Amino acid sequence: MPSVSSLREASETLAAAHVAGRRCRIGEDLTTDGLDGILEHEAGDLTCTVEAGIRLSVLNAALARHGQRLSLDPPGDATIGAVLARNLSGPLRHRFGAPRDLVLGVTLVLADGTIASAGGKVVKNVAGYDLGRLVCGSQGRLALIARVSFRLHPLPKAARTLLVETDEVPAAVAALLRSQLQPSALDALHPGRVAVLLEGSERAVDAQLAAARGLVGGDETGPEVWEESRMRQGGARGRVRFAPGDLADVLAGLSEAVVRPSAGVAYTLEELPSGSEPQSADAADAVQRLSERIRLAFDPNGVLAP
Amino acid sequence: MSLPASLVAELRELLGAEHVVVEPEQLRVYECDGLTGHRAVPELVVLPHSTEEVQAVVRACHREQVPFVARGAGTGLSGGATPVAGGVVVSLARMNRILEVDLQSLRVVVEPGVANLDVTNAVAGEGFFYAPDPSSQQVCTIGGNVAENSGGAHCLKHGFTVHHVTGLTLVLPDGEVAELGGKALDPDGPDLLGVVVGSEGTLGIVTRITLRVVRAPEAVRTLLAGFETTDAAGAAVSEIVAAGILPSAIEMMDRLTIEAAELAVVPGYPKGAGAVLLVELDGVAAQVDEDAAEVERICLECEAFELRTASDEATRALLWKGRKSAFAAMGRVATDYYVQDGVVPRTRLPEVLRRIEELSRSHGLRVGNVFHAGDGNLHPLVLYDAEQGETERARELAEAILDACLDAGGSLTGEHGVGMDKACSMPRMFSERDLEVFGRLRRAFDPEGLCNPGKVIPTPRLCGEVPGPYRVHALERIGVAERL
Repeated sequence: MPSVSSLREASETLAAAHVAGRRCRIGEDLTTDGLDGILEHEAGDLTCTVEAGIRLSVLNAALARHGQRLSLDPPGDATIGAVLARNLSGPLRHRFGAPRDLVLGVTLVLADGTIASAGGKVVKNVAGYDLGRLVCGSQGRLALIARVSFRLHPLPKAARTLLVETDEVPAAVAALLRSQLQPSALDALHPGRVAVLLEGSERAVDAQLAAARGLVGGDETGPEVWEESRMRQGGARGRVRFAPGDLADVLAGLSEAVVRPSAGVAYTLEELPSGSEPQSADAADAVQRLSERIRLAFDPNGVLAP
Repeated sequence: MSLPASLVAELRELLGAEHVVVEPEQLRVYECDGLTGHRAVPELVVLPHSTEEVQAVVRACHREQVPFVARGAGTGLSGGATPVAGGVVVSLARMNRILEVDLQSLRVVVEPGVANLDVTNAVAGEGFFYAPDPSSQQVCTIGGNVAENSGGAHCLKHGFTVHHVTGLTLVLPDGEVAELGGKALDPDGPDLLGVVVGSEGTLGIVTRITLRVVRAPEAVRTLLAGFETTDAAGAAVSEIVAAGILPSAIEMMDRLTIEAAELAVVPGYPKGAGAVLLVELDGVAAQVDEDAAEVERICLECEAFELRTASDEATRALLWKGRKSAFAAMGRVATDYYVQDGVVPRTRLPEVLRRIEELSRSHGLRVGNVFHAGDGNLHPLVLYDAEQGETERARELAEAILDACLDAGGSLTGEHGVGMDKACSMPRMFSERDLEVFGRLRRAFDPEGLCNPGKVIPTPRLCGEVPGPYRVHALERIGVAERL
């Protein structure tokens, strides 16, 4: 499997496939394993720019040396390019969002070899179309993600976890979401458990833990519950999206799931059709047709088709 | 160019004659937005009342190949709502209903004409708020915020509009209706929602928006510090960030803007200050207490000569008074001013401020600086007197300031948008290839180029055949992008 190690190489490889009318699937026929450097880390600006083949663990280890992190913690240890293309997030999604919320800029290689950048490396920027967000969730169908700039966060000075065992998961979640606590993660481990991650200064975390216990009970536990959450998410076979207020109804229909209630996403053991939020068939078709037009504009010859 | 009479008749039939504006005097109301230097009188203004009516208008325009421009409150600063001559303006002013408040889901569903602040007003009683807070929030609309991906003083911690929109109903330029996202996050497929937010009204007309609202924080603390120089205040900002503190806002004003504010609203800022820093912290009380003590310590260490703090609403409002009136206060010290909107990496602020000072001197015009120091978003106010023939020099100075921002690795615009104002400047930040790919995306939404044409992407007609001077892109300079 050919691995490219420069933008030029990626551009030439894809352009050749484009001209020959050959398929070149990212991650299969072409990988970015050799494109794995940290190009810039401006600690004072809380930003970094990396090549997309770098593994999340490698990046975060490097950032940790400066007391910072990329606040994404999906299961496994994907490359940054895959994290974007597959829109991967983990428990920290509750507070810090998905890849699209942390991407500042990208350099893409389109199927015809065109190299294009969008966004930038500053946290605030509204110039031009947001191709960085566009490729989040694109599954490698729109372009090769070659380089990415991110917003970073300081590593918390302290972190503690509260685990609540309860028959009333929706009630506990609702109480926490309505409170003024600011957890970094809030997962429902259905059935019967809610995990809350509190981060900040030591004193503030102690105070939040006490307040959370006062609200929903439970006991402090170790960070291994987050490992469990990620494992179960990684092993999930279905995904349900729902209006966060419908949590109780959604859980009633599921035997086992890892749920990010504020996002309205449940990773389920059952194989379920994804995207259960009701929508008219016409509107869904319109999105499908629009996505297809964008795909054709970016990859007219279907080089990146699965 | 005039519109086919049949189209006008059709729109009257669709919307009711009272919602179709054709009188020249009335059309003039729509000739510009907050960027008053660009004007064009539209042929027709329509005021639809529902997604279906917007869809019908767009279908008719599409069939007749008539360009159209959506408009909210018209407070935009980049000419994003400037009409197209010979085209139709679609005002969304009548679509101003809050459709649903669903606090169980932490969502509010609104029409595009709802004013930003009215979203917060609808949920404040329950202890929630809508986080993006552009300074025009009393009048600017959510539809306009979506178009521009608006920020505000508190976006440093809470994020921009794109972080708070979870769903959109979009009327595409051919009249098809697409539903992007919903109350749940993370829809399958590419993030089209994220592309439409901030697309400056060029990819369609948004008719319904689902917003995420946030629980009001347990504690809010505002600190105001007076410094001798902007360098000293800038050093304090760096130290605050280095300490791992994330304030909800860090705002800075320089001597000239402080003086103007004192003349206009008498906020009573520290006397003789060369820079005033406003730092706001919010969150759980224990964290806010601790961070506030640390921010105070840092400010004193960086030689702040006066410190004030406020935790109640009234005193906080007093501290913010000077900052919030800064733009308007400029009227006290100059007849005309141009607000620039550039971004630099925060760590480069001190050098860029010095560069702006040099440019100000060499152009012989004063520049006031008031900015979001936490995220490096500068709003230099170039002061001039049009009657003294200084307009062109002011424009040159504003451009030179933008170049200084780009040279430092920043951006053309942090929150005001490209619109008409900066379309021709885009080649200074993006390569031809970048712009060509932007064009591909735009044509996928709008193959005929009917939806807010002439905005965002430079065109030869607009900018002349010669693109602006090419500048090395920030990503290119650091080796992230290269030209092949």
